[in-house]
Amino acid sequence: MRERRLSPNLIIGAVLVALVCGVALLSVVWTPHPYAVIDVGGKFAPASAEHWLGTDQLGRDLVSQLMVAAGNSMMVALLAVGVGCVLGTAFGLLAAARGGWTEEAIMRVSDLGFAFPALLFAIMLAAAYGPSLSVVVVAIAFINIPIFARVSRAAANQVWHREYVYAARAAGMGRFAISRDHILPNIAAPVIVQATIEFAVSILTEAALSYLGLGAQPPAPSWGRMLSEAQTLMYLAPQLAIWPGLCIFTAVLGFGLLGDGLRDMTDPRLIRERRA
Amino acid sequence: MIEVEGLSITSAAGPILRDVRLHVAAGERLGVVGESGSGKTLLAMSLMGMVPDGLHVTGSIRIDGAEMGGADEAAWRRLRARRVAMIFQEPMSALNPLRRVGDTVAEPLIRHLGLSPRAARDKALALFEETGILGPERRLSQYPHQLSGGQRQRVLIALALACDPELLIADEPTTALDANVALRITRLLVRLARERRMGLLFISHDLAAVSRTTERLMVMYGGDVVETGATAEVLRAPAHPYTVGLLAARPSLAAHGKRRLPTIPGSVPPPQELPRGCRFSGRCGQEIARCADERPQPVATAPGSWAACHLLRARAKGAGA
Repeated sequence: MRERRLSPNLIIGAVLVALVCGVALLSVVWTPHPYAVIDVGGKFAPASAEHWLGTDQLGRDLVSQLMVAAGNSMMVALLAVGVGCVLGTAFGLLAAARGGWTEEAIMRVSDLGFAFPALLFAIMLAAAYGPSLSVVVVAIAFINIPIFARVSRAAANQVWHREYVYAARAAGMGRFAISRDHILPNIAAPVIVQATIEFAVSILTEAALSYLGLGAQPPAPSWGRMLSEAQTLMYLAPQLAIWPGLCIFTAVLGFGLLGDGLRDMTDPRLIRERRA
Repeated sequence: MIEVEGLSITSAAGPILRDVRLHVAAGERLGVVGESGSGKTLLAMSLMGMVPDGLHVTGSIRIDGAEMGGADEAAWRRLRARRVAMIFQEPMSALNPLRRVGDTVAEPLIRHLGLSPRAARDKALALFEETGILGPERRLSQYPHQLSGGQRQRVLIALALACDPELLIADEPTTALDANVALRITRLLVRLARERRMGLLFISHDLAAVSRTTERLMVMYGGDVVETGATAEVLRAPAHPYTVGLLAARPSLAAHGKRRLPTIPGSVPPPQELPRGCRFSGRCGQEIARCADERPQPVATAPGSWAACHLLRARAKGAGA
């Protein structure tokens, strides 16, 4: 029988992710206040019924800003990981299906991709095209391609040696059809786990780039940029740094735990160990 | 319909299959017997054009008159399923756990025969009925884990038959099954071969299964064919010491508890350690001087039968003198 009990990691992770995603979705239709309205008279307001977490140095409502920033962050992660995952997995499947020099070429180019840290790559792009969230998306997506190529190729190479793939070949199926109908569904688990973990990494990368001023441009709120703006006000209004920091922490922890939990649940090796 | 001549497969470590020769005509049933490592699965794979990368294949494989020795993947793909099809040892792992078995069987019908999904479903249902699957209608939409081993093997046979192949290769189809299920599967294969006038290449190490399934028999050891002939004849009067040993190692109810089951000492050495001459030298026990270094040539033992053993030649000469 399959292990039915869910790990605490998975549950905590899922709750945190649901929270962050819920808030992000909500921000699209509703925020307590318009996030960009400046009210210099009401700056540094403390938490109150009107402003739940107070206001910042320009009198903007903190909760509203954090909510919209959550939406931006999720959008960046979704686009970047989505594009990286689809392209990377396609390359990984192609490498496993063709073998030989095709596989060799794809994997060596991937190694080259690993040599560029996402931050460095984004700084290069920002220098060339100017800082924006699109640059962040492109940079993170690009860095994700070799990661997913590697994960999916390793998983696919295993599946290619399963007997049902031999049976499909014996039934005259081509490499493309086998990749689509037999390989892809059977490597979905590790790819989804990787995507969840990369989601956490990409939230962190986006925050770091926005902190450096290479990501979201004012007035679009971003946790990373809120942190950098609060930096000079640390002694005056520490809550302005603490809340975005906590948001980053929650989102990254949530996706990290969810990814770990999913991996524990789907990795047959771990299931066997736990049962033994 | 399929004729193999001088088929050899070599790995970096040395030859794995040497000079295999076989033919299977329409409706004919040929058995291949040998222990693990004798090269029988690789032989099957080579007839499907599915030899793993890194192995070097030489010799002639003629399927329906088309020379497939050295053919590329595209050429083989045109032949698979429609000319030659194959079923596998492990019905548990030969079906994709994430696909409904009906979809798995319908796939080649849509792909190769150009049937519509509906027509493919009807054909799949007919195939399920032909292969004796219980509750065929309901089975179509079930997943492999919902089927028993015997039912799964029938699904795999249905899949293999989908495009009406002229040769069916069955690689140890009964090894993973209970004895009575295995019996039914072999009966099914014999019936299908007869009704469809389809050639059957039945690979097994189960001599009982081979004897009730096939008309002719080929015994392999260490990548060589050591003996071949009519199944009943070979089993009644084996000529090669290896075949003799294989038959002696069969458990029998009559002798149960009265004696230890005789075995052939040792196991098949890995390809790089096989003797150059007779592959069986070293385990044979009746060796003469030339066995280890000189490869024995086939000696006719009966019309249409031969065995490759130096002892037979020596004996034949002795009788002639």
